[in-house]
Amino acid sequence: MNKFSWYQASSVEEALKAVNSTVSESLTAKPGTGAVFKSGGIDVLDLMKEGLLQPEMIVNIREIPGLDSIEDTADGGLKIGANATLAEMMENEKIKQNYQALYQSLNHAATPQLRNMASLGGNLAQRTRCWYFRSIDHQCFRKGGSTCFAKNGMNEFHSILKNGMCSSVHSSSISTALMAFDAKVEITGSKGKQRLVDLDDFFILPGDDPSRENILRSDELIAAVILPKISSDTKSIYKKQGARESYDWALADVAIVADVKSGKCSKATMALGAAAPVPLRIQYAADMLVNEKIDENIAKEVAEAAMERATPLEHNAYKVPLFKALIKRSVLQLA
Amino acid sequence: MDKDPNQSPPKSGRNDDQNKGKLSRRGFLKGMGLTTAGTMAVSSGVLAFEKAEVEEDKVLGPDEVRIKMKVNGHAYHLEVTPRTTLANALRDHLELTGTKVVCDRGACSACTVWLDGKPINSCLTLALDVGDKEVTTVEGISKAQELHPVQQAFIDHDAAQCGYCTPGMIMSAAWIVENVPNPTLEEVKNALRGNLCRCGTYPHVFKATMEAAKKG
Amino acid sequence: MKKKKLTLPHGIPGHNLSQIDREVHIDEPPAWPINDKLQHVGKRVKRNDAEAKVTGNAKYTSDMQLPGMLIGRMLRSPYPHAKIRSVNTEKAENYPGVYAIHVFSRAFGMAQPADNDKENQFPEIKYAGQPIAGVAARDAETAEEALKLIEIDYETFPFVVTVEDALKPEAPLVFTTNVEQEDKGGGGGGAKGLKTQGNLRGPNTASFYGGPRGDLEKGFSEADVVLENTYRTQVHTHCPLETHGVVVDWKPDFVTIYASSQNTTSVRNEFAEVFDLPMSKVRVITEYMGGGFGAKHALGNFGVMAGHLSKKSGRPVKLMLDRKEEHISAGNRPNSIHVLKVGAKKDGKLTALQQKSHGTAGVGLGAGVGRIAQAMYECPNFSTEQYDVFTHAGPGAAWRAPGNVQGAFALEQLMDELAEKLDIDPLDLRDVIDKSEIRKVERLRGAEKFDWKRRNKPGSDKGPVKKGIGMAQSHWPRITGINASVEVRAFRDGAVEVRSAVQDIGTGTKTILAQVVAEELGLKPEDITIRIGDTLFPDAPGSGGSQVTGSITPPARNAAYKLKMQLLEQVAEGWELEAEELDVADQKIFAKNDPSKSIAFKEALGNMRTGQLLTSASRSDDYGGFMVGKSISYGELGSVQFAEVTVDTETGYVKVDRIVAVHSCGRPLNITQLESQINGGVIQGISYALYEYRVMDKNTGHQMNANLDMYKVPFAFEVPEIETVLVEEYSARSSTDAFGIGEPANIATAAAVANAVYNATGVRFYEAPITPKRVLEALNNL
Repeated sequence: MNKFSWYQASSVEEALKAVNSTVSESLTAKPGTGAVFKSGGIDVLDLMKEGLLQPEMIVNIREIPGLDSIEDTADGGLKIGANATLAEMMENEKIKQNYQALYQSLNHAATPQLRNMASLGGNLAQRTRCWYFRSIDHQCFRKGGSTCFAKNGMNEFHSILKNGMCSSVHSSSISTALMAFDAKVEITGSKGKQRLVDLDDFFILPGDDPSRENILRSDELIAAVILPKISSDTKSIYKKQGARESYDWALADVAIVADVKSGKCSKATMALGAAAPVPLRIQYAADMLVNEKIDENIAKEVAEAAMERATPLEHNAYKVPLFKALIKRSVLQLA
Repeated sequence: MDKDPNQSPPKSGRNDDQNKGKLSRRGFLKGMGLTTAGTMAVSSGVLAFEKAEVEEDKVLGPDEVRIKMKVNGHAYHLEVTPRTTLANALRDHLELTGTKVVCDRGACSACTVWLDGKPINSCLTLALDVGDKEVTTVEGISKAQELHPVQQAFIDHDAAQCGYCTPGMIMSAAWIVENVPNPTLEEVKNALRGNLCRCGTYPHVFKATMEAAKKG
Repeated sequence: MKKKKLTLPHGIPGHNLSQIDREVHIDEPPAWPINDKLQHVGKRVKRNDAEAKVTGNAKYTSDMQLPGMLIGRMLRSPYPHAKIRSVNTEKAENYPGVYAIHVFSRAFGMAQPADNDKENQFPEIKYAGQPIAGVAARDAETAEEALKLIEIDYETFPFVVTVEDALKPEAPLVFTTNVEQEDKGGGGGGAKGLKTQGNLRGPNTASFYGGPRGDLEKGFSEADVVLENTYRTQVHTHCPLETHGVVVDWKPDFVTIYASSQNTTSVRNEFAEVFDLPMSKVRVITEYMGGGFGAKHALGNFGVMAGHLSKKSGRPVKLMLDRKEEHISAGNRPNSIHVLKVGAKKDGKLTALQQKSHGTAGVGLGAGVGRIAQAMYECPNFSTEQYDVFTHAGPGAAWRAPGNVQGAFALEQLMDELAEKLDIDPLDLRDVIDKSEIRKVERLRGAEKFDWKRRNKPGSDKGPVKKGIGMAQSHWPRITGINASVEVRAFRDGAVEVRSAVQDIGTGTKTILAQVVAEELGLKPEDITIRIGDTLFPDAPGSGGSQVTGSITPPARNAAYKLKMQLLEQVAEGWELEAEELDVADQKIFAKNDPSKSIAFKEALGNMRTGQLLTSASRSDDYGGFMVGKSISYGELGSVQFAEVTVDTETGYVKVDRIVAVHSCGRPLNITQLESQINGGVIQGISYALYEYRVMDKNTGHQMNANLDMYKVPFAFEVPEIETVLVEEYSARSSTDAFGIGEPANIATAAAVANAVYNATGVRFYEAPITPKRVLEALNNL
């Protein structure tokens, strides 16, 4: 890691003043410039150890009071502070009971150690694990270069949807679940300005700006994630397949949240992880479930539909049947 | 269904044709698009940042900073820089070399220590992150010359071969033994699932941890 | 040579145990009975360094801190193929905190032109990650910052990183002349004197089992069934938890090296040779080391670099590789493309076996598929052609049963296919073609424990999640190193100490030495202090080839026996008896025929005429001689493994549920440690079958998964239930009659898993690892 200085922020306001760069901006900047946020520090330190990120200053937001609270919202949903760790989220009864797909995604994420450190905000803001992106020797689109090495390279862990420019996948499998719950991200800007965006709009595709994976600006901070209220008919399913079971990034992961009564679905959302450069909502396929009885046929149809736009690369065509299997099984589990 | 094993190389997906074209035109590559190690950021450094607004006296580093750290029940005064990780502070500054650094990226849990009683990766924690929290390392879990029950069980069940993963394994195993009453084998595996052992000592580690949990 | 006759146990208890007479040297100790009748040997003795390991007190090379010690780091080429026009170190030299810089003028640790040992200005770069220069500085950060200041002018060239591409006529050449790579103490290298054409070196057609035999054409023409397939295995990297590395402390008259090594003796020898020092002035210490699996025999380019940096700076220099360096430059198991053809009669008898293999050890030698096809089954007509293919990738190194794991993946699947074709049970087929008595017993005992007879027809499980079972066998020679010596010292206060340069790679060598010496002296294993891993003590072989147990325990016993007899003589003199009339047991010395005459062992030492007794012994020749030279003992280390798997045919995920591993290693010395080692071999085998592989980017020549995140090694949930069965086998070959288990534990697993996957799915996977990707591709015709 390069030499950097350290600033311990004690309030969001102070933190926003001290920081002047997003991690993404700092990645393509002159080494030794830029002040960036760190909470759990997992991804920031990883990028720094690879020599990809060389900031002038780390602004530690980990200790800001109240930023880690998990509380009910007025309308019966849940607001999860950005500093809440994945382990703290898992301990929350409401998440365990009401947002089971989220709980399952947490349960399959990382290691017990990392979950004790990693913050929700950091998990959303983490950069892709694409091995070309993570290599100091490969200057790809995402780092200001002029190529995607994965496109014609080793791409078995890469994207099968929306992979026209850059074929990385977003690595947050928790976002897959959050997206299926229609989560919103609360972002605090300078002078306390707040904006609330759909998680779908939080992430951006490489075509819009390859150097970034989300909309955060350098004077902004993720404050919280808000989950809407669920109904008593809501069922949520999360399924993930990694190269290993113990802990691994997803080869494919799927979250479906649906209102199901007497085996019949009235409303559904579905999101896929490790399929595209962003966590991807496939609403048109989820909509096929509406007013249908959950059975093998509809499960297969939804799975087929969700994959019909897939454009696999040389080494990742296997992801198409894999996603189909996970989607089919998730749908069947709604019954 | 079976693939023809003699076909070389294995079948490839739909982008193969474009790929072949490019390869044959260019012939063998010389590493196009590669950057020389360490120079990437320089070559693309275009952004300039505004000066951050900070209270200067709250900025620590980049040079040595004096900190106090509670480790295994003792308070130590250390001189670290902001980039000193907790693992380095323990190993290089305090000579508590039981904690091992293996992958240096949080992917193997060899560097596991407890921070206020919770297992974390000391390789991805900065020394400055510790603050007032209490650090417990493998050197600190035995009490008054008595081995921790997990340590004893590891000895009894031969749960260390080369021994390099052992301190991290012990810290994960001791955590579940102390925090989860009567854990199932599944729960034990879950607590240890981030710990890599290349010698393949896992079966004996599971056995030892279950045994220690039973006694505990 | 003065000889005597010994009557020793011979055979397999519960099967064919008998006795055999051997003429042995007069100094050899009496025969030990079988394990049943021994006190400490063959028992579950606790590992004697376990407490140091579980408390964090064990100091590994990476933990060393010496006064004034510097940290060394190396600069590596980002290009896979280049010439270095110039290196400018001026800025780095002036960087504060830098004490020494060294630029390599020779490449180490890879194949070299046979006739070219002369120093060039700069060696050619042949793989991405090849070290060029090194810096020693006050800390790692300073060293790394200084490395960035070294300016190198590269001229880059086309490169090739896959076997298939390297064999194309227009492929860039890795070497332009014939090359050789010396075996560093069991750590790899290749057969000598083979021709290199293009990127192809070989074929290697011979082994210590001899060359080709019989008449292949005739053999195939006599066959009722001929099968031929191509099997592929991946490159995988050792990933020891402690990376390769050393601390070199160069003093003007003496160099001390702390090395994370599995071969103290060869590191010393290589260092002395490179720096032109007498071996007596180089000391190598390996008290604890964090895993090697075959890759840590040599000094390594990092060791040479640390030597130069310490010499130049006059300070101790610690140079440990980081995780990425470990993957890309410190060794790997070469891949294989293995064409195997078998001819057989209807009853299963083999008539011909032909193999041809290509594999790449990158810029090193040592690809191949071993000797297992040649040695395991009876087949009158056999030939092998094994080729090294050079690529611009990091050098291979030995890994647990070099070649044989690749070889078994093919051979044992082909036998499975043959059995099916002939409609014979795979175990019954082995009964026809396998003449090994030990494997016969292993098949019997294993099949019962595993319940083999429940095996169904391939793919017969209904539903998408299918279960299957399979088995595979292995063969490994009994390699013995006679350069294995031990000293035993007893002190007046009762302390007993064993000393040898032999290292404990994690297998428990320290513990078995204590058991053997305690058994001989009538003491307890915990009473014996073991000091090993230090070349100030007598030479010993590297921890490779499963040779340590068979090589080092006989001299340990013999040295202890000599010491015992010297002490007994002194005691006997006082009792007016002959030493032969005395014996030891339970920490006491006593007269065999007079129970009133007894003295504590400790007390006897207190009375001895000198302050210390000191004896030593070197490995004697095998009783009845060796099978080959003075390095291969008669017999073999055979094993049979059974696997049960679950294949999810919709997600492609394969899970191993259970393994039964049936093994032999002569006289087992420590049951628990053997089980630990077998577990490890099995788990590495599962990983080889299902998870791990090196990913080389063909466009840029870099390994893309040089970390422990994207390089997939097994963790807790990837580990099945493993049951081990040890079959004792006495062959009366040495004073302990014991052998190792490291290699055999790793050979059969991947093939057993692949056969089980076939049994589950009815689809055969010819390429390892069998990942969800490969399963889904095969089942969906992708």
